[in-house]
Amino acid sequence: MLSRVADSLYWMARYIERAEHTARLIAVKLESQVEQSSEDARASWMRTLQALSGEEFVADRFDAFAATDALAFARTNPSSLLASLRGARDNARQVREQLSSEVWEQLNRLYLRLQPVTLAAFWNGQPAEFFRGVLRDLHTIEGVAYSTLGHGEGWYFLELGRYIERAQAVSRLLDLYFGASFAGRPHYFDWLMLLKFCSAFEPYCKAHTAAIKPERIAEFLVFDREFPHSLSFSIDRIGAALSHVAPGAPTARRAACERLAGRLKASVDFGHIDELMKGSVAGFLAETTRQCEQIHDAVYATYIAYGAESVL
Amino acid sequence: MQQERRSVGDLEAEGSAVLGDGPCARYRLGAAYDEMFEAGGAVRGHYAALHQRLTHLPPEELTRRQQACEQSFLHQGITFTVYSDAQATERIIPTDLLPRIVTAPEWDRIERGLTQRIAALNLFLRDVYSDGLVLKDRVLPRSMVYGSKHYLREMRGLPVPAGAYINVCGTDLVRNEKGEFVVLEDNLRVPSGVSYMLANREVVRRAFPGTFRAAGVRAIEHYPRELLATLRALAPFQDDVSIAVLTPGVFNSAYFEHAFLARQMGVELVEGRDLLVNDNVLYARTTSGLKRIDVVYRRIDDDFIDPLIFREDSTLGVPGIFNAYRAGNVVIANALGTGVADDKAVYAYVPKLIRYYLSEEPILENVETYLCREPAQLSHVLANLDTLVVKAVGESGGYGMLIGPHASEAERQAFAIKLRANPDNYIAQPTIQLSTAPTFVESGVEARHVDLRPFILNAEETRIVPGALTRVALKRGSLVVNSSQGGGSKDTWVLNQ
Repeated sequence: MLSRVADSLYWMARYIERAEHTARLIAVKLESQVEQSSEDARASWMRTLQALSGEEFVADRFDAFAATDALAFARTNPSSLLASLRGARDNARQVREQLSSEVWEQLNRLYLRLQPVTLAAFWNGQPAEFFRGVLRDLHTIEGVAYSTLGHGEGWYFLELGRYIERAQAVSRLLDLYFGASFAGRPHYFDWLMLLKFCSAFEPYCKAHTAAIKPERIAEFLVFDREFPHSLSFSIDRIGAALSHVAPGAPTARRAACERLAGRLKASVDFGHIDELMKGSVAGFLAETTRQCEQIHDAVYATYIAYGAESVL
Repeated sequence: MQQERRSVGDLEAEGSAVLGDGPCARYRLGAAYDEMFEAGGAVRGHYAALHQRLTHLPPEELTRRQQACEQSFLHQGITFTVYSDAQATERIIPTDLLPRIVTAPEWDRIERGLTQRIAALNLFLRDVYSDGLVLKDRVLPRSMVYGSKHYLREMRGLPVPAGAYINVCGTDLVRNEKGEFVVLEDNLRVPSGVSYMLANREVVRRAFPGTFRAAGVRAIEHYPRELLATLRALAPFQDDVSIAVLTPGVFNSAYFEHAFLARQMGVELVEGRDLLVNDNVLYARTTSGLKRIDVVYRRIDDDFIDPLIFREDSTLGVPGIFNAYRAGNVVIANALGTGVADDKAVYAYVPKLIRYYLSEEPILENVETYLCREPAQLSHVLANLDTLVVKAVGESGGYGMLIGPHASEAERQAFAIKLRANPDNYIAQPTIQLSTAPTFVESGVEARHVDLRPFILNAEETRIVPGALTRVALKRGSLVVNSSQGGGSKDTWVLNQ
């Protein structure tokens, strides 16, 4: 397929994943803040902002409203929920032909619905419910995409975008909770939040019972093969997507990306939680993020933005 | 329903006719030829079935069917987008559910006339881009050709496959007061509208299924296949011809048509930024590597297609594509430089060109045209501005023109100044009463002026699909059918008999 089209599909998927992640974090945070002391809530908001790279966008007055506004609607925040939806829609519009009408209409409608919204308009009602609604719409888009788009090369660029974004987002979250930057030690409630940020609470309980243990959480979110938000799952899907894109490209050209993906996959397939906890969790996560970025760069250099000389 | 018939005397007194109580109650006949009604109010034979259907349908039903047509357009995305800061609104170009009907003998003459015309125009282009015999023989003034802003020196001496410069042509025909189809203008550069022709057929076939079936209407759905065959024929020595439709992109108002045709033909839709030229060969950048393109159906104007040769500020084109073209490594359809033949001044000479190249009398006549570059004709035009339509030679879309009878004296004076300042740039034609056809408007079925744009494909042979885009001026009395100025479109039924 045309490189430009692959580029737009890849970014459309990354922006949709980013929007979903942002919407979920906001919703979970808003739902949970009633149960926290104001000090804990503040720290927790800070972490949420950090997870979503939003800390610079909070004005001097810091509170839940300001934080939510910064993360969801602030024009100055290029990673806000609205900005992510706009990015998804703009890319989708460029490749409308590749998408089904259902996918385009759902995405377009969601963006147009959110575009004029201000937080003040619904803050005194049920703000969490608003973001849950956005999440539902995003899930609809995912479902409709799965059923109405052909699972050809274009589909695998969507997969690539989604899982590279997800791997990086989850790494960042894990780093905030397991890394040195966490002030004090996280307690039960914080771990609960982490699990909910990743839609992992119920699946975790199924796997490990409701006994919340940091090590088991790390194991689940890093190594679990079956849970869709684990690093292992995302990395596996990245590898699978890479093997399906650019079917016409010669093996030699495919090698660069596939090697990087394979190496990353090995680090989670053959890693073990005990080793991880003994060693540096932060180091492991930083390395994972770095390798995802390398894969992104390699995809661009090989399939999208390659110089003509390299192929002639 | 009772049809009220008035006496001929009454009609002459009123200058119009009242045609019954049904949906056509407010239909007014005027000086123009009406497609459905004869001057006395009798329904023409080939419209009888439709008229009958209309009188039996309640007005709400007509409204419902009209809305269904519009909804279908909206859902298919046959829209142009109006972008504002807050959002993008998708609008459809208005479509009217009542088909415009053309009989078989009428169409046969049109088809023969158009085939003849495009043959002459292609020969003309080949001639002016090589030896220029037509100019040596003084058939038309040199300055008109060489001075035309669309004449491209770069095309001199460049052969094109099958001598077919014009591969896709949209010729605008109108029916004059006498009921004859005449040519209003040719569109030889980047003619558009065929997707509306096809989309209208789809919706109107569903709006009047019984009437459609019974009428025996010739099919047009194979247009994309014919277009593909035409493009393929331009690279006859290759087995696996790689074709692409080159579009300016999603923000172009005709983007829907570009994407539609690419999809229907099964070829790639590309933008300038997808393409590159290496060693004078044109390639598209794909994920699997560079893919060579042999034939480009370009929907970008000459000016913008190659920033190395033409407008250097163009971001829509492909640097070096003209050199690839010159090297014979890629075919561009339509060829560059065809604009010199659809220049409004050259238009006036087309009947002469037909006689000169084909030794035949033109089957389709031109509209009588005055060339303001000729002093005697300029005087006549200035003296009769109130009855003439004056057009700027290089413009399109209905812009830069004066419709004398509809303009105020002040507007005519202002235009006269422009005329005197640059007479070479203008031609004038008598105001033709375009024929009227039944159109469904808010108050029911009324007469509105229409034109006819068939599409002619040409490579090693001429292919004309039996149909056309009928454009309709939706405002009562308006003669301007262009969509950019409030026009709409209709399905066109060419009958088997």
